[in-house]
Amino acid sequence: MSVVERPRSLQEQVTLLDLVDRVLNKGVVLTGDLTLSVADVDLVYVGLRVLLSSVASLERGREGDA
Amino acid sequence: MSETATATALYAYAVVGPVTERLRNELGDRLELVGDDEVAVVTGEVPLADYGTEVLPERLNDRAWLESAATEHEGVVRRLLGSTAVVPLRFGSIHHDRASVERFLQARRAEFAATLERVRGLVEVGVKVWLEPRDRAAEPEAPLPASGREYLERRKQERDRAAAASGELDDRLRGIHERLAAVAEAAALNRPQARELTGADREMVLNAAYLVATDDEALRAEVERLRSENADLAFEVTGPWAPYNFVGGADQ
Repeated sequence: MSVVERPRSLQEQVTLLDLVDRVLNKGVVLTGDLTLSVADVDLVYVGLRVLLSSVASLERGREGDA
Repeated sequence: MSETATATALYAYAVVGPVTERLRNELGDRLELVGDDEVAVVTGEVPLADYGTEVLPERLNDRAWLESAATEHEGVVRRLLGSTAVVPLRFGSIHHDRASVERFLQARRAEFAATLERVRGLVEVGVKVWLEPRDRAAEPEAPLPASGREYLERRKQERDRAAAASGELDDRLRGIHERLAAVAEAAALNRPQARELTGADREMVLNAAYLVATDDEALRAEVERLRSENADLAFEVTGPWAPYNFVGGADQ
């Protein structure tokens, strides 16, 4: 058995989603001279994809526990 | 190439103003102001090894890194919130040096000054409404349909009921948003977060943000009233946040 990271509570999960949603998706865009290529990346979808995969692995972890 | 390991860039967190003594005290050693006493950008040095254009997109796919970077960004913005007006910038505004920040600030100084004026003394509060799952076990079990026709008839009735319930819920949510917007300076509706993202066993049906005075109590009071009137809905309040939803980002 590998040491599994303790799954965070649902509340924390949702709060992180709110945080990423605001920080990556809202706010004024002040383009910097190093920001250009990153601006081409749709930041929020990158971020949400990360969260999505982490939620999916959390679900798998739960099923594994049952 | 040996320089790259320690090379840094300037990360811009927020536009603030006016620059107060309290703001200066909040900045600490790591944060630095670029601009003037009326409109300034709060910046901090970050390693190019993480924030360079070649590596940042890759870093964003690392959940732990993204979480700590987003938390850091929000932590700085939140700390500034009490000391002066704050216009939060979107994640990832990265500059070579102070001169670059200064240039980008000057190009939009009037716009930032106006936005600062508009959000002065105000904060954002998030309100999410969840539809509690129906307790199916409590519903009487219908007898098996006697014929194919009865089965189809029953399916149609179920669909009609579901459509009516969905229309009724939409009306109710519109009313809820209007009542909350009525006690706020401004309101913004966002798409409810998908269940695949929330991982919740209930569905988010409203995801809104309201701009209110820093010491406001009317919005929370209205949420309490709505909570007592809508037993099948769960209300979640987040914040106070910097006014992320009310500063005119690209998609707003």
